[in-house]
Amino acid sequence: MGKRPPITNRVRDLREEHGKLSQAALGEAVGVTRHTIIAIEQGRYSPSLETAFRIARLFGCGVEDVFGWEGE
Amino acid sequence: MPFKEKSAWVMGAIMLATGLWYAQLVAAAPDAPVIGPLIPYVLAVIVLSIVAQVGLAIASPKEANAPADEREKIVIDRAGHWSGIVMGVLALAACATYAAAPDGVMLFYSIIGALILAQLAEYVFQIVLFRRAL
Repeated sequence: MGKRPPITNRVRDLREEHGKLSQAALGEAVGVTRHTIIAIEQGRYSPSLETAFRIARLFGCGVEDVFGWEGE
Repeated sequence: MPFKEKSAWVMGAIMLATGLWYAQLVAAAPDAPVIGPLIPYVLAVIVLSIVAQVGLAIASPKEANAPADEREKIVIDRAGHWSGIVMGVLALAACATYAAAPDGVMLFYSIIGALILAQLAEYVFQIVLFRRAL
């Protein structure tokens, strides 16, 4: 397996807080596939800054409320 | 499994099967003109690729029509980069072999083999990259 990026995220929690938004619906809303959302949630992929902002805006919060640096 | 990973599996299987078939055709008639086995091989690759891609598109029409997203573009770019290196190394090896022992037919088959292996490697790299952390 490749080295995991040192970025943590709360995407799964936020999806569930927002009416159990599906991975497919979130992906469609921010312009990526369901599989990319799965990879983000599993920490296998750090999204681009643009996608990170799109996700944060969709959930009505800031980027740092969704994404963080490992260990902080 | 992402659509593009499914496509890589199917195309990889086609490249492997047709590549082995081509090697068998060449081995069966080593003295035949080099163009002889190449024509059925190219036709088989084209026909099987079209049939496979149409089948995949019928099974997942929405995903088939969607453009690659940012992660898929990274996977495709990296796999293409690495397979290019494979192609370059194999082509240089073929040229070095030709320089040591000039044999135009062997050079032809070596370059065709390099093309097939590099394409196969590209699909393998795509599958690996789709499954690991980027």
